Amino acid sequence: MKRSGNTSEARRTSLEKTNPAEAKNTQPAKTEETGRAFLEEVMKMPGGERILECIQCGSCAGGCPTRFAMNYSPMQILRMINRGMKQTVLSSSTIWVCSSCYTCATRCPRDVDFPALMMSLKNKAITEFMARDKSKFHKSFFEVVSKYGKLYEPELFVKLMDKSDFKSLRQNASLGWRLFRKGKMHVKAPRTEQTPWVRSMLEKTKEKEQE
Amino acid sequence: MKYAFFPGCSLQSTAKEYKESVQAVAKALDIELTEVPGWNCCGAIDAIYTFKPLYSLALAARNLALAEKMQMDVATPCSACYFTLSRTNKILKEDAATKSKIDEALKTAGLNYNGGVKVRHFAEALLSDVGLQKIRERVKAPLATLKVAAYYGCFMVRPPNICSFDKPERPTRLDELAEALGASKVDYYGKTRCCGQSLGITDEEAMLKMSKDILLNAKNAGADCMMTACPMCHFNLDARQKDIESHFSVRINLPVLHFTQLVGLAFGVQPRQVGLQRNCVSPRKILSKRV
Repeated sequence: MKRSGNTSEARRTSLEKTNPAEAKNTQPAKTEETGRAFLEEVMKMPGGERILECIQCGSCAGGCPTRFAMNYSPMQILRMINRGMKQTVLSSSTIWVCSSCYTCATRCPRDVDFPALMMSLKNKAITEFMARDKSKFHKSFFEVVSKYGKLYEPELFVKLMDKSDFKSLRQNASLGWRLFRKGKMHVKAPRTEQTPWVRSMLEKTKEKEQE
Repeated sequence: MKYAFFPGCSLQSTAKEYKESVQAVAKALDIELTEVPGWNCCGAIDAIYTFKPLYSLALAARNLALAEKMQMDVATPCSACYFTLSRTNKILKEDAATKSKIDEALKTAGLNYNGGVKVRHFAEALLSDVGLQKIRERVKAPLATLKVAAYYGCFMVRPPNICSFDKPERPTRLDELAEALGASKVDYYGKTRCCGQSLGITDEEAMLKMSKDILLNAKNAGADCMMTACPMCHFNLDARQKDIESHFSVRINLPVLHFTQLVGLAFGVQPRQVGLQRNCVSPRKILSKRV
């Protein structure tokens, strides 16, 4: 697992400055319980079915366009799952930085569906309460869509706004103005016809997920 | 030719000009687009899927069920919707356990879906059903002397078992379209490289870098403009180009057009009718290159 040292130096220093706890994660956990339990769990997830087929060829890591922003490469994540390193995998930045572009899955000679696996692992991290702040975007997006049936950008932006970060506030305001001036920012919320189905479908799928 | 038209959320707001240009092109080629009545969010690639996988599938399935009632193939101009709807179609076909759960969720909305809908990207409908020959005949104002860098992004071509617009590595169909319009193609590195859209909010710095690389590669290869087929890619490369410029202190100023805007212009449609005034990076300098 020594390869994680490849993470670019600049990226790590910037991480250390902003979030020392996260920077620590770039080093592999020294003591971690390993075992087959996590591997077997992953094999049942969508995307995890063929994980034992991985031959560690590195096609995924080589083609990954977001590798520079990950603390572990896709190839390393697959190996760590194999070793049962649940804690390290679920708290890695990799699962959140994957942009599901499917370059890896397209090139994988063993047909491992890595992006689908990353979605499943994100879901796992959320349900195990290991990703409260990282999942803020996904949660807000879900909330907006289950309110209107469609995406309503202004509400999503307001939900995600960090009121203490002046620089990002200014940047968002400038982007919002740029879109508004071009007539591309809807001020009025969308209305999907017969909206009660939004709730009823949500309730039903929740119920089914519990099964 | 008739299609059930699924615009997707972006085309209602941040990519309004895409919808305008799709409709203008469809009108010029006698393609009948009927909007799916009461459509909803396609389920979003991973934003909702990560949080509530079944709900995301149910959202997509509702759109498919609505389209099935219309008895037409779905045509969507958004690559992300193309992927999400096709993925759901595939899962419902292959996974009986998930299908029965989704069926019950759909029942609460008074719908059912039998898997009879084919989802296609609008570009695919244009190139496969109308064909390059017909498009070539319809061109009134060829875009001669214009160098176009076609950008495919992710979901036009990947994953190949779901999105099969073209081959996953080195696709050429959009380049061929550009040539049919009289323009010349530009070969550059990164035409299928991800623009980072899904990281736009969660890891902005990574996204800005990814889009910057694509824009600079196209510009350095001599492109006058870029041509996209996805409202998300367009948003990153066009609306956020200013943020990229100020973040990396570089000057790019490369107009990015939806492929339908270029088709419309070559057909002699007025720039306003393909929503050219809504592009954030001014495409004025390429207009003068039209014959």
